[in-house]
Order: sequence, then structure tokens, then C-alpha cells
Amino acid sequence: MTSVDLALARATFLRRVAYKGNWLFTVIVGGAGLLASLALWEHVLADGDLAGYDWHGMRAYLVIGYFAMTLTVGAGDWLIATRILDGLVAIDLTKPIDFQRARAVEFIGGLFATIPGAAVAIGAAAALSGLPAPVSPLAGALTGLSLALTFPLSFGVIYLGVLTCFWTRRYMGVLWARDSIILFLSGMLVPVALFPDWLEVVAWSLPFVHFTTTPSSIYLGRVDTAGSLGLLSLQAAWVIGLWWLGRLVWSRAIRKVTIHGGLRTARLQRLPPLGEGPTHVHSRVSSGLLGHVGLGAVQPGHHLRIPGRPVRLDRLDRRMGLP
Amino acid sequence: MGVDARHTATVYGRSLWAHFRSVVEYPADFWVMATTGIFWQIMSFGFVTILFQNVNAVGGWGYHEMLMLVGFLAVAAGSPALYWDGIWSIADQVADGGMDYRITRPAPVMPQIATLHIGLQGVGEVPLGAAMFVYGWIGAGVGLGQIPVALLLFACAAVIQVAMYTIANSANFWVKGRVPVFGFFLVEMQNEAMRFPLPVFPMAVRVLLTFAIPLAFASFVPVEILNGRASEWWLLGPPLTAALLAALAVWIFRAGLRSYDSAGH
Repeated sequence: MTSVDLALARATFLRRVAYKGNWLFTVIVGGAGLLASLALWEHVLADGDLAGYDWHGMRAYLVIGYFAMTLTVGAGDWLIATRILDGLVAIDLTKPIDFQRARAVEFIGGLFATIPGAAVAIGAAAALSGLPAPVSPLAGALTGLSLALTFPLSFGVIYLGVLTCFWTRRYMGVLWARDSIILFLSGMLVPVALFPDWLEVVAWSLPFVHFTTTPSSIYLGRVDTAGSLGLLSLQAAWVIGLWWLGRLVWSRAIRKVTIHGGLRTARLQRLPPLGEGPTHVHSRVSSGLLGHVGLGAVQPGHHLRIPGRPVRLDRLDRRMGLP
Repeated sequence: MGVDARHTATVYGRSLWAHFRSVVEYPADFWVMATTGIFWQIMSFGFVTILFQNVNAVGGWGYHEMLMLVGFLAVAAGSPALYWDGIWSIADQVADGGMDYRITRPAPVMPQIATLHIGLQGVGEVPLGAAMFVYGWIGAGVGLGQIPVALLLFACAAVIQVAMYTIANSANFWVKGRVPVFGFFLVEMQNEAMRFPLPVFPMAVRVLLTFAIPLAFASFVPVEILNGRASEWWLLGPPLTAALLAALAVWIFRAGLRSYDSAGH
């Protein structure tokens, strides 16, 4: 990580814990959902097992799933969504930092604010119900690897979800849709092994099972070492695939940059290099007036296209009536 | 008193209508939100159905009774999104000082805040929740004579939900922060715990969810009454709880407004 990465991660962490009363409350009571799930499954599994899950295994399953889901849904994706929705992303376009990488390090910074709550919840669950050990030390180590892969996998899913804000004007619907899909298809609500066959195939065709089912299956020894390595490979492939899919969507999404609900778009496009020295970037706002939304300096070689046709920044300034 | 009530109702109605016109200006959002509400309920239906393909009863409740419970909860907890969703913006309004603007207008503050937004997920959530409830009702063999009771219980549940959302969000008058964590906690607890019959939980949790944070009166108790699992005396519970919580919500919101000292302090 570079110093810029560290600064972004630190800033995000500090922002997440800025309101300490709020943050402490989430840390202390954030695990209520986990305790409710444990109570349900203890009741359901009192008379035996379901699809190979007994109460002993289900505890580990729920705790591992809870940990992974907390990272996903508590990652502070609102900060990224807000930047897109209120138009601040226009300033990001002018910064000499890769947008996706910057958001990834912010995600890591946000995790440090989320992990304490997950730890408290898991501690409470372990104290109340006990937490079974992994089936073997190797399974424990491979589970750790799988959980480590959950971080970039979470970011991949979150980032793709957030990028839809370029096409919608609000994030709430996307967030809810994403969380409900993840909760269900990851097997967090009901283990995937209990799904009908066709739905199980659907679930295994998507990345979400790797939040819950993959690490817990390895932990509980439901798959052997070769199977574990296969699942880990699949999980890693999703991490890489989602990262590059994020880049592809981003390259499309920035053609839809809209400032404050305005009608025009700003497009990045390759043009011949401009003259020496920085140039200010301007963009349209919803009122139809030309607003000075970004003071980030564009270095020679950066170009804008507003709206639709390529425009060199010096000509753009003249078109906008600016000196 | 009558004039005040009429004025409040007028402010509320006009403000809600204005925001409705505002949100339908964005059709993509409308469809995303409505589809999300639909998907959420399909997921709930899938959860119950898959669970009951593997077990015969949960907490002594059968499949159709569980569908009634999940459907009732969806309607009760989802409908305030259509008429009281702005209450979730209290935390933001307190943090950025937006409350100043609401206070200085010649209109009651709570209706202004409550109508600041409309949660379009309710458009998908409420009809599908109602469909699940009706399907469960028919399957459980509940008689048509219970319909007036059901309507009363739905009305009480709506008031309870609105009051509890207001109370939970009003906590952000004192605990500053842009995220309404108390409201989120309430919703998470309701989503996680109230989907199941209370006998699933230990006694302490049952007492907590019935009397301390009376979420049970917004879903579990009404469905127990309709299924004939609870005696008629329990029918007093939802209206009394609704009245008490509504009064408490108004009192806490007003106390919050009195303690509000604008942003930056």
C-alpha cells in the first residue's frame, strides 16, 4: 500500500467512527440478528440434523456466515454511492488515482470500523452457545484463507452494486436488492444444501455461496482437502473476475456521469495531449447553468468529452464562456 | 384543537403528495425499489417454503400459520414506507442542521419530517405480503368472520410500527450521527426475530419482545389471535399498545426537538 492508500483507508476509518455514540451502539448490539438465528436453528435442530447439519455444525455455519455478511453489508458503501449520486465523482475523475483502487483501500479502512462489532457478536454467540473447533488444523487454515478471500469478494460485489448508481438516482433500492440476494443465495437464511436442486445449481453459479457455504463447508469438513482447494480456487476466480468486471462497468459508467441530476454527461476520451500545465474542469448542473463542480487539476494528457463530442479542455473553457 | 388537527392533516397530505410526484419523476428508481420489495417478499416466501420442506413445524406453528405471520409482518412493517418513510431522515436532519428549516416553517414538524421521503419498496412489499397472508389464511382455515378483527389488528400494527420507528429514530436527537442506528437495530431485530413464532426463543427474549420492545403486538400477537391460539383478552393488547406508543412517540419527538441545538455544537 502506498502512503495515499493508507491515508484514504485511515480517513475512511475515522469517518466511520466519527460519531462515537452511534458506532459504539452498533458494536455492542449489532449481533442481535446472529443470536436470533442461533435460537431458531437450535429449536429446529433439537430433534436431529437437516441435510447433514446438526446443531453442532450449524453454530459454526451461522457464525462464519455472520462474519462474512457483516463485512459485506457493513462496509460503508454508502460513502461511494453518495459520491456518485451527488456528483463528487466528477472530482474523482480529475484525480491521478485509480478510482477502483481508491475505493478498495477505503473499503479496507471501513473494515476496521466493522470488525469490532462482528468480534463482539461472535464472542457473545460463543459465550452463549459455544463455537465448535474446525475439523482439523488444515481445515482451520484453509477456512482462514477462504475468509481472507471474502474481503476482496465483498468489495467486488459491493463495488458493482454501487456502480449502478450511475443509472439510478438512489442507492437504497440497489442496496436492499443486493442484500436480499446475498442473504438468500449465500445460504445465510437457509443452508444451500436445503435448497431444491435447481435453486442449488443457481446458487453455486453465483459468487454469493462463497460468503457462507464455502468457508463453513471447509471448516466443518463437509468437503475433503481437494474439494476445499477447488472451492478456494473458485472463490479466487470470482475475486479476480469481479475486479475486472468492475473495471469494465466503470469504463461504461463514467459515460453516464451526471452532476446533481443534470441531463448531460461527461465522457473521458483519448485526445491528443494538451498544452503544459493544469487545467480546471467544469461540468453542467441540473439547473442548466454551468457550475464549477471540480477544482481538481487535470494534468496534460487528460481529456473530457461533454456532452458527446470530444472537446479539448481549453476549447471547453471557451465554450463555457470562461477565460 | 380541531383546526390544529386539520392543519396538520393538510400539511401531511400536501407534503406527501409533493414527494410522491417527486419520486415518480425517476422511473428507474421506482422500478428498482418496487422490484426490491417484491424480491424481498419472494425471498421470505422461499425461506418459509424451503424450511417447511424439511420440518413439519416451527415452534408448534405449521406452514400456513407461518405464512400468515410472515405476510402480516410484511404488510405491517412495510406499509409505513409509503406514508412515514421520512422519519428515517431525523439523524441526517439533526447532523447537518436541516432541522432548522423544518422548525422555522409555519407547520408541525413531525409531519414535515415524516413526509420527506416515500419508500417505494412498499409498492412491491405490501401487496406480496398481503398475498402471502391471504394464502396462509386460506390454508390455515381461518374463517371469514375474522376479517373485521384482522383489519383492526392491521390498523393497530401500522400505528405501532410508525410509533416505534419514530421513537427509534428520535434517539438520534441525542446520540448524534448520520446513520439511524437505533432504527436499523429495531428493523434488524424485527426482521430476524419476528419472522418466527415467539415460542422458538427463550422466555427472557419473549418477555422482552412482548413488553419491553413490544414488536410482538405488530405481528405475532395479532396472528395468534386470528389463529385462535390466543384468548380474546389478547385483543385488547394491540389497540392499547398502539395508543400508548403513539403518545410516547409524540412525547419523545417533542423532547428531542426541545433538546435540538442545531448543527456544529
